[in-house]
Amino acid sequence: MTRGLLTAALCASLACAAGLASACGGQGTAPKQGAAQPASKPQGSAAKPEGSSVKSAAAPKVTEIKEAELKSLLGAGTGRERPMLVNFWATWCVPCREEFPDLVEIRGQYGPDTLDFALVSLDDPSDIGKAVPEFLAEAQATAFPSYLLNADDPDAAINLVDPTWSGELPATFLYDRSGALVFKHKGRVNPDELRAALNEALKEKKQ
Amino acid sequence: MKKLKAIALLLALSFAFAALALWATNLVLSYAFAAPDAKAGVAIGAVIPDFTLPDADGKEHSLASLKGKSGTVIIFMATQCPISNAYNARMQKLADDYRARGVNVVGINSNSTESAAEVKSHAAEKGLTFTILKDANNKIADRFSAQATPEAYLLDASGKLVYHGRIDSSRYGYLITSADLRDAIEATLAGRAVVKAEVKAFGCSIKRG
Repeated sequence: MTRGLLTAALCASLACAAGLASACGGQGTAPKQGAAQPASKPQGSAAKPEGSSVKSAAAPKVTEIKEAELKSLLGAGTGRERPMLVNFWATWCVPCREEFPDLVEIRGQYGPDTLDFALVSLDDPSDIGKAVPEFLAEAQATAFPSYLLNADDPDAAINLVDPTWSGELPATFLYDRSGALVFKHKGRVNPDELRAALNEALKEKKQ
Repeated sequence: MKKLKAIALLLALSFAFAALALWATNLVLSYAFAAPDAKAGVAIGAVIPDFTLPDADGKEHSLASLKGKSGTVIIFMATQCPISNAYNARMQKLADDYRARGVNVVGINSNSTESAAEVKSHAAEKGLTFTILKDANNKIADRFSAQATPEAYLLDASGKLVYHGRIDSSRYGYLITSADLRDAIEATLAGRAVVKAEVKAFGCSIKRG
């Protein structure tokens, strides 16, 4: 009897330690995602052309969005089929341009079936037809839904994404299937760190 | 046999303690890592402690020596960031417009990628005559938790932070719908509270060393 108790205590403490060790890997991964799969909602990104051929240098379509569309794109609080990675960038931002090869590589490693991955440009709206798509084509960043945020109130848009964000670019945010923000990085992304966060978010099983 | 059980119990307890310790460490660590993100910086209403930085010629200035009689504007700025550069003329005009009214404008360049020599030639080229300090190792940017360029801080006459954020609502001068920094300066000069004390904008990230 006592032995049984002891074993139980031992097991519990070990399991506890192990559990905590893994929990510390992901930056505050929200475990609550019971409502991960309601009636599968069509997502903003789902209808967008995914540009399947990477080799083609055809300039991708860039869609202009406002705060409301950004909000539904991020889908906070709603169940989604796949985690959502969002990168905010601009053609005038040097580290943004520099991190594109990493973003394209990650898109290649985590395909559209696994991960929703959107690019949101903060360029001037007048650049939507030329400078933005031309840069995306040049960077071979064609397998992403691409948006240009023309916010009436940048302050509100920034706070909508993350109240601790000052609006500096680039910035990358990962939302899990429950819509919880589980990873963020300001400045040029560290691909290994991002992959670790992606793997963590993808580990959570759909129910 | 009883002794064996006691030892086993001790072992189990020590495991439990180890687990607890690990949990506590985790908690502390997660807080430590969350901290830089959790807007450490300076809060609205806080008095900014004095600091000293060199200008582009290497001459040291204390914040106390640069303070305006009625207020001080500190702007984290850059030489290469197109957003910051779009504000050069507006920053200079701000300095010119408010000097006589006792508000001093001070620029700080915290980018590790931009040297003091570059700050100097940039200011000469763009006609910036207000003092621009070079913040090597982004020490002061860290103290303010400044992240972007341009990012402005307005201190009132007593050195208290009363506004933090964007200069105005548009980097294109002709699209400005809200001149937040000017509004904050005017409110402060009139002895009124600043209506919106923190307003963000998209900008370049400060390149920390």
